[in-house]
Amino acid sequence: MASPLPSVGTPTFDLESHTSNYTPPLLPLRLLHIAAHCPPLSHQALTLALEVIKLGKDVSLYHRATDLASLLGHADLAVKDTDWLARREDANRRELTRLEGELKGYKNNLIRESIRMGQEDLGLHLSATGGQAAAVTKEDELEATATPSMQGLVVAYTTMSRVRDYCSTPSHIAGLTLRLQQIALQQAVTAQQTGLSASPHWQNVLATSNRLKSVGVKEEEQVLLTPLAAAGAGLAHLCTSDYISAAKSFLSVPFSLATQPAVQGVNFIASTASANDIAIYGALTSLATLSREELQTKVLDSPFRAFLELEPHVRKAISLYLNAKYSACMALLSRYYADWSLDLYLGAGLSQGHSHVDRLFARIREKSITAYFSSFSSVSLSSLASTFPPTGLAPSTSREGVEKVMETEILSLISSGALNARLDAVNGTVVAPSKDARVEAHAEAGKLAEEVERGLRLRLHRVNCLISNLEIVGAGAPGGKGGKEAWGLGY
Amino acid sequence: MDILTSFPPMKALGPEAFDKQITAYLTKLDKLPTAAFSKAKDGKSPLDVLSPSSNSIPYIYCLLEATKSLGKDKAKWDELLSKVTLFYATFDSIQMRYVGQAWVDLWKWTAECLDHLGIIDLSVLSSAILRLDPSAATFTSLHLRFVRLCLGNNTPSQALPILDRDIYAFPHANAKNVLAELPSEELGLSNAYINEKSGLSEKLRPDLVMEYYLLGAQVYIGTRALSRGRLFLELVILHPAQNHATSALQVEAFQKWLLIGLLTDGKPFPYPRTMDQSTIKALRSMSKAYEALTESFERRDSAKYYAEMDAGQQIWAENGNYRLVAEAGQTLMQYRVSDLQKTYAALPVSRVAYHLGMASEDTLSTLDNMIRTSSLDATLTPRTTAAEAVLRFNMKASGRSQGSVDVEMQTKRIEELIAAVRDADKRLELTKEHIDITKRNKRTGTDAELADQMDLSWDTPSAPAGVMVISEDDAEEDIMA
Repeated sequence: MASPLPSVGTPTFDLESHTSNYTPPLLPLRLLHIAAHCPPLSHQALTLALEVIKLGKDVSLYHRATDLASLLGHADLAVKDTDWLARREDANRRELTRLEGELKGYKNNLIRESIRMGQEDLGLHLSATGGQAAAVTKEDELEATATPSMQGLVVAYTTMSRVRDYCSTPSHIAGLTLRLQQIALQQAVTAQQTGLSASPHWQNVLATSNRLKSVGVKEEEQVLLTPLAAAGAGLAHLCTSDYISAAKSFLSVPFSLATQPAVQGVNFIASTASANDIAIYGALTSLATLSREELQTKVLDSPFRAFLELEPHVRKAISLYLNAKYSACMALLSRYYADWSLDLYLGAGLSQGHSHVDRLFARIREKSITAYFSSFSSVSLSSLASTFPPTGLAPSTSREGVEKVMETEILSLISSGALNARLDAVNGTVVAPSKDARVEAHAEAGKLAEEVERGLRLRLHRVNCLISNLEIVGAGAPGGKGGKEAWGLGY
Repeated sequence: MDILTSFPPMKALGPEAFDKQITAYLTKLDKLPTAAFSKAKDGKSPLDVLSPSSNSIPYIYCLLEATKSLGKDKAKWDELLSKVTLFYATFDSIQMRYVGQAWVDLWKWTAECLDHLGIIDLSVLSSAILRLDPSAATFTSLHLRFVRLCLGNNTPSQALPILDRDIYAFPHANAKNVLAELPSEELGLSNAYINEKSGLSEKLRPDLVMEYYLLGAQVYIGTRALSRGRLFLELVILHPAQNHATSALQVEAFQKWLLIGLLTDGKPFPYPRTMDQSTIKALRSMSKAYEALTESFERRDSAKYYAEMDAGQQIWAENGNYRLVAEAGQTLMQYRVSDLQKTYAALPVSRVAYHLGMASEDTLSTLDNMIRTSSLDATLTPRTTAAEAVLRFNMKASGRSQGSVDVEMQTKRIEELIAAVRDADKRLELTKEHIDITKRNKRTGTDAELADQMDLSWDTPSAPAGVMVISEDDAEEDIMA
């Protein structure tokens, strides 16, 4: 059945084994993303999603999943299990009341540590349930436009932040910051999927990740936190389209991320992003933003290589690019287009038409064309079109049609300044502008001299006026424009 | 008569002796009755006896006397004018330095006379100014009068000999307690003898200075020397002001400045770095119509530009800018074609036509015109139809082979300018305010000097704002010296 949402083809991975790497709360979101954009896997993904959701406590998420099912035409899955819903809501409410009661008790007892744990548990509960029950009472504080789950998560975040008051060791703070990062991630991804603005949440992810870097814990704990900080920052940059910073962050993630144990109850590689994911994100963002030398030194010859070994195809793509085999590189990348579009972070924005994958691919293409051209003085459009087949064309387009598309692309590259060349529309070639260094140097010197001269004159004038008391004075001041003597007509 | 011819003596004198003698001589002349200058002796008028080149001072007094007694007789005017012309060609400029008032009066009469006789050629006036001061680098009221005259006569190009000379100084009072250069000395910059006391210029005001530059800019715009026109306009706009006062003349200059920017660069010039922000704001708020024009121009939107042009017709007419605005409109077309150079090396005329929104044949003829008038560096290859003709841009920049010559002249000009700037800085140091500050600094001791340098902003209110504005490094460095 045709999907009403933008969709991609079948990915190379197997759905079950792929998703077994991940845990809630982001796991169901991943599955929903896949279901929404991959018709062949849609039904399977939704089934798995509903299973996972039912194991959890988030009611609003359940509603979202079933609504998506009916949108996609899976009538069987769209049926809401009202039984489960009622039971779950009830249980959530009871749990919430219990936790709140316990917390009040702790606060009466004034035992700091128990208050802290109680508050933390409350926060965790809220984030797990999407904060639905609490949302009802806190409606006046929140925006009217946010969906119930968003409202709830904001409550969860605020509740969790209150733990700060009861932390007594840096380790507590580290744990708190980590949990805040996780909630913020949840918020950000949910916002992305429900079409709301996610940037404030990504800012939070970035802020908490940066805080993790310098939270003041002892060496052994910091070693565990630094990879999470770098990875979190990288994700935030990636999802706010700041690919340059994303590349930097991802490349700085120590490989220990892949093998370290859970930190304070958070298993990052399962909850947020696996080491393979980091490899792909790092590779793609680097390819799109770094120069040739940087790619060689900072990616291939650096500790990041360990990540790349996990995903050999991206490593291959990078080395193809470095060896100037651009069309092979682009072809390799496009083979994994579906996989990456179905990724939770890279595929964000697919519904709006440009996911990060799309944007990254476009940048890589642009860079390749520019790099390819730099070694020639003149290239014909037809050879350009064969080396870099324009994307998104029907296979039946004629040669002239293909060249026309190529020409439009080249023109936009030239006008945006990415490509320093000129189009010879008559011969169908792209030529490099010839530069006569000597003439240019002369012209530059002449211009500079002119400006120096002008500057000196202006300064001289200014000083002279000041010496001779010839400044303009406002009207009404003595010696002003009043009483202008007539000098006679004409002269 | 003997008194009149008693000066200058036969032998050459040194500057101090000359100065003493001439001052004594002037005192004697002042005591003479006015009739002495017009009375004939032995049937000859003093003008025939005295020599204009060596007896310049009495000669000019006689001339002035003669002007007072003229009637309506045009012939007499003519005769006197020819004497004056001869005088202007031969007078002794050093002697003239001492008789500023007479100088100005005679000049003004000459201008009136030329007008009266309907003579268009005003070169006698400009050569007079230049003979007195070949550099014409110290501004006098005569500069302005002359430019006004030329424009009034519709012969702006006659003003060029004066306009082309840069102004390096304005007449001002000499600083107290400073040894002034004697006017009798040959060397030195002209501001030494053209000062407030000398009377060689009437009293100046800031708006007069600005008017000079504004009119000068108009002359240069008319003669297509746009670069110098830009300089003059910037001089008006940058005229220093107290308390951010802005003059209407600056608004006028600003508007023309915007338009010239469009003609020269295809976009408004960048604002000069030293410009006062509040002045800029004031100027811009008064020139909204012009800013609308520049915006359309920068976006290369022909239709909008012409629409704005038509809408603001009255404004342009009032400001006398109609011609400029129309010209900019035509230049817009040229810039649209030149823009294509940034992306294309060669393209068929049909594409150019599409880009310009015109028919191919019209485009072809426009391009042909542009190439012929050298506003476009390209070749046009005709084909069977206009649409297929090929426009190929010349990629290699046409070499500035005269570049080396230009650089030499430029270096020379810059050196002259630097000398003038140094002189101006020196004079600045001698101004009263500067001395006050230096004195105060010295009094508070060397340790506080640095602190005082930085704190020039909250100095005593007695020192005028003018000096606060100057934070020239040179001035401060010299304090330390």
